[in-house]
Amino acid sequence: MARMALRADASRFFLGYVWWVLEPLLWVAVFYVVFVVILGARSEGFLPFLMVGKLAFVWFSKSVTQASNSIITGRGLVGKINVPKTLFPMAVVQEGLYRQIAVFGLMFAYLLVEGYPITLTWFYLVPLMIVTYIMIIACALVGACLVCVARDFSPLISLGMMFLMFISGIFWDVRELGDPQKVELILAANPLAFLLDGFRQVLMHATPPDLLHLLIVGAGFGALFWVMVLVMRRISQYLALKVLTA
Amino acid sequence: MSEEAGKVMLELDSVWLNYHTGKQTFDHGTHHVLNDVSLKLYEGETLGLIGRNGVGKTTTLRLMAGILAPTRGQVKVRPGKTASLLTLGLGFKQDLSGRDNALLAAMLQGSTRRQAESFLDEIAEFSELGESFHLPVKTYSSGMRARLAFTTALMTHVDILLIDEILSVGDAHFRGKALGAMQNRITGEQTVVFVSHLADQVKSLCDRVMWLDHGKVVAVGAAAEVVDAYSEKMTGERVIKNRDVPE
Repeated sequence: MARMALRADASRFFLGYVWWVLEPLLWVAVFYVVFVVILGARSEGFLPFLMVGKLAFVWFSKSVTQASNSIITGRGLVGKINVPKTLFPMAVVQEGLYRQIAVFGLMFAYLLVEGYPITLTWFYLVPLMIVTYIMIIACALVGACLVCVARDFSPLISLGMMFLMFISGIFWDVRELGDPQKVELILAANPLAFLLDGFRQVLMHATPPDLLHLLIVGAGFGALFWVMVLVMRRISQYLALKVLTA
Repeated sequence: MSEEAGKVMLELDSVWLNYHTGKQTFDHGTHHVLNDVSLKLYEGETLGLIGRNGVGKTTTLRLMAGILAPTRGQVKVRPGKTASLLTLGLGFKQDLSGRDNALLAAMLQGSTRRQAESFLDEIAEFSELGESFHLPVKTYSSGMRARLAFTTALMTHVDILLIDEILSVGDAHFRGKALGAMQNRITGEQTVVFVSHLADQVKSLCDRVMWLDHGKVVAVGAAAEVVDAYSEKMTGERVIKNRDVPE
C-alpha cells in the first residue's frame, strides 16, 4: 500500500520523484541563507551540521504530521470495511521511510564530497535509524488517534513540530551549550535531540552513540507502539464512529 | 418465507446507536441514529432494507459489517462467518490505475495478493473498461468508476453480502448486466442484505423486507407486503403535503 501511495504521489507532480529530495534540500537552503549568509554564523562545517540535523528531523516531523491526519484522509475506506486503523498511519510512515532512504543517500554523497570519510562507525547508523523509526511510528499512532478523537489536535501537532524543531538542536549544537549538566539534561529529556546528535556524532565525528541510552529510547517507544496497537485494536469501532460523524 | 427454517446467520439484539456531535443539537449534542432495532438474518435469504434518506439504513449495514459498534445492544454474527459491505468505490485512490485500485480493494477485503491478482483478468473483462483499466482512476467518468466498483465488489467472496444501493448506477447496458450477475448470486446460497430505493427491484430480489423510519423498525415481513405499505405511506404523505399548500 505504501509503495502504491508513493507511486501515486510521484505521478501527481510534474517533477515526480525529484520532489522527495528537493523539498528537504530547499529547507536546508533557507537555513543556510539565514544563518550563514545573513547572520554570518560559523561557516566551517556548519552546512553539513545543518543538513544532517534538519534532514533527520524532517523525516520525523513530516511522517508524524502526515500520519496524524491519515485516518481522517482514509475516511472513505473507514466507512466501508472494518480495517485495522493502525494501517493508515503505518502506511504513511512506511512511505516516509522509502523517501528518507533517498534523502539520506543524497546526504551521504554530499558528506563524502565535503571530505567526511566513511568509517566503521557508520555502522551505528543502522541502530540509530531503527530507533528513530520506532519513535516515528509510535508518535504517528498517538497522533492519528488524537486527531480522530478531536480534529483540534491536528493544528496542535503542527505547532508541536515547530516547537520541537527549536528545542531539538537543529541550527544550534547541543554540545556547545557549555554547561555539561545542561547538555546531559537536554539529551536525556528530549529523545529527538539525542537521536539528531547521534546522527551527527556518527557521520561527522566518527563517534559511536551512547548505546545504552539508545536502547532505552528504543525500548520506551517500542513499548508505546505496542500499547497503541492494542488500544487502537480495542477502540477500532469507536474511532470509525468518530471519523464518520465528526 | 424461510423465516424459521434456516439457521440464524446474524442477529441484531435491541441495538441502539447514538453519537455526540460536540455541537448542541438534539439532547445536548447526542444524535440517535438507531433506537432499539432487533432483527434476525437467516442463512440463504435476501433481506431488503427500505426507508427514506437518513433513517439509519447505511448505519445498520455498517453495524452488521462490524465497522461500527452499537452503543447499546448486541450484534451477533455466527462464528466463523464474515459479513462485508459493498458500496460504490472502495475509497478509490485517484492517482492509481483501475487495476491497482481493484487489487487494493480485493486485498483489503481479505484476499491474498495472489488471489487478488487472479481476479484481475475477470474484473477487466466484466467491467469492459478496456485500455482504461490501466489508466489512473481520476481520468474515469462516473459511469466507468461505477463499473469498476461494482465488478470489484462482485468478485469478493463473503458469507454475508451487504449491498448499499449498488445496482442503480452505470448505463442501461451495464445495469442490466450487473443486475443479472447479482441475481445469480442472490438466488444461490448467498445471504444478502440489500438497500435500495427502487421498489420493484426490492420486490423482485428480496425474500423479506425491513422498513426503517427515524431509527426504528416500522415493519418486517414478506417483501411484497412491506414494500406496498411503504409505497402507500410515501404517496399518502405526498398527497397530504400537496393539500396543505395554500391556493
